[in-house]
Amino acid sequence: MVTAPTPVASMTSRQRVLAALRREPVDRTPVCNPTSVATVELMDLVGAPFPDANRVPELMARLAATSYTELGFDTIMPVFSIIQESSALGCKIQWEQKDNWPTVKMREPIWTTPEDIKVPSDLLTHPDTKCVLDAIRILRKEYGNEVAIIGKTMGPWSLGYHCFGVEPFLLMSLDDEGKTKLCLDKMKEITVQFGLAQIEAGADALTLPDHATGDLVSAEYYARYLSELHHEFAERLPVPIILHICGRTVDRLGHIAETGMAAFHYDSKNRPDEAIHAAKNGIALVGNINNPETLFSKGPEQVRCEVIQNLEAGIQLVGPECAIPLQTAIDNLKEIPKAVRDWHRERTSVN
Amino acid sequence: MGKRIELVPMDPHFHDITIALYQDSMDGGLVLRVHTYSSIPGAQDRVAFIAHAMSILGGMEAVSNGVSLLRFGCGAPHTLASRRVFLEACKISPSAPLEPKGLSIFDKKSDQEIAVASSDSGAYKVAAAGGDSARASAVAGGLAKLAEMSKSEMNAAQVAFPCGQPHDALVGLLLGRALNVRAALREDEMMATRGTLVAPSAQN
Repeated sequence: MVTAPTPVASMTSRQRVLAALRREPVDRTPVCNPTSVATVELMDLVGAPFPDANRVPELMARLAATSYTELGFDTIMPVFSIIQESSALGCKIQWEQKDNWPTVKMREPIWTTPEDIKVPSDLLTHPDTKCVLDAIRILRKEYGNEVAIIGKTMGPWSLGYHCFGVEPFLLMSLDDEGKTKLCLDKMKEITVQFGLAQIEAGADALTLPDHATGDLVSAEYYARYLSELHHEFAERLPVPIILHICGRTVDRLGHIAETGMAAFHYDSKNRPDEAIHAAKNGIALVGNINNPETLFSKGPEQVRCEVIQNLEAGIQLVGPECAIPLQTAIDNLKEIPKAVRDWHRERTSVN
Repeated sequence: MGKRIELVPMDPHFHDITIALYQDSMDGGLVLRVHTYSSIPGAQDRVAFIAHAMSILGGMEAVSNGVSLLRFGCGAPHTLASRRVFLEACKISPSAPLEPKGLSIFDKKSDQEIAVASSDSGAYKVAAAGGDSARASAVAGGLAKLAEMSKSEMNAAQVAFPCGQPHDALVGLLLGRALNVRAALREDEMMATRGTLVAPSAQN
């Protein structure tokens, strides 16, 4: 349990998040979503709807800030989608409308061999990556050191899906380990460049989604292809890194904990107590509140139950398991920080 | 605000604003509130129109101290039916005439007229003009699913509201959907999954 045995002086949201990511004592458990808390109702509230809020820095920053100003989370994450750098790489994007996520048209891959992989000279000046950098600058200027601002840079496995297509990339990983590793090695530079640019723009921490998901990629695969790369990211990106992988992942959590990354954003398919056990205090854990069944379909009481399960298990940062569905009710999201505060208040009064 | 029970993420008739239906308690009873967070000019007029459309299409009463507050006269929540009324009201163009639907409809699937007979006790008996009792029972089953009505044990073509009160406008509105309830439920499911981000490997 990270909450200090002796009282810790009141912290700002930013101090709280950064301390928790270092697994240091905090005044209370921070509430954090390292992916996205954008909803269609929040878009209306601040006049920043998708798809423009993914492409216009001022709108991106305004919508992202609602996480802190309206919901009471301790973090602001402006990179709602997972496609910004893929757009800059040349992938075709379906931008969708207000009520849906932009996606890469993965059936129209842009690369087929390692030789195709080129980091474009405009990677960081392309409108869809520059939008992220500008939004982070706006947020840093507006909120100073009050709240933790989290950036996002996609890992090479996810970029492989986007740029080669899911099936071709997975087949390559089965057929030719050397070729796959070469691809990953080349693509990792995209992850690093975009990550460093966000740090320079003012990001306090970075989410690094790398979709070696439990359903398609085994723990052995994670160790073979990604463990070393993730270790390298932790060394080259000088802020706390939050690795995000969907699905059941306790089987590889031991490997992940050894990478040197600060935190792992984990899915509700893993129980908080088993995840804490598997992490062996080698990495902080964040997330776990179920999206489709709890945050989207149920009410505040059920949200509160899951928050408390995480707190009781000693999870360091509490929040949704992944980017929340865009139709999620605001009351359910507000319940997360409320439940965290109530839980800590009750513990304080008992002690 | 109360509990959100339905959401239209993009209103096709007013600048794609998001409009929601909330269920709240007031004066010891439940009321329904139509709400948008949008502050663009005209958004509140659109909300008021939808509430008005719900009152006509669903036979609901406006609650005196709020233009977007509604309730059923019987005092029962009829949650599922309220959601359906809201969704139908949001589909209506502001320029379209508003009037309650009747208790009969032509059923293309069975090529016959389907009529519903109302009683004062909140019971409704479905009949097919061609005497097709199986089709009448299927439509009654559709109404039961859409409006949380109970099926009669004596007559498969008869359903009733648990409040024991008639709701003719509501049944008239739901009758069209009850002809093909599977399609209505499929549409609901599709709406619910839209807006959920999935990992690249799980995308179609």
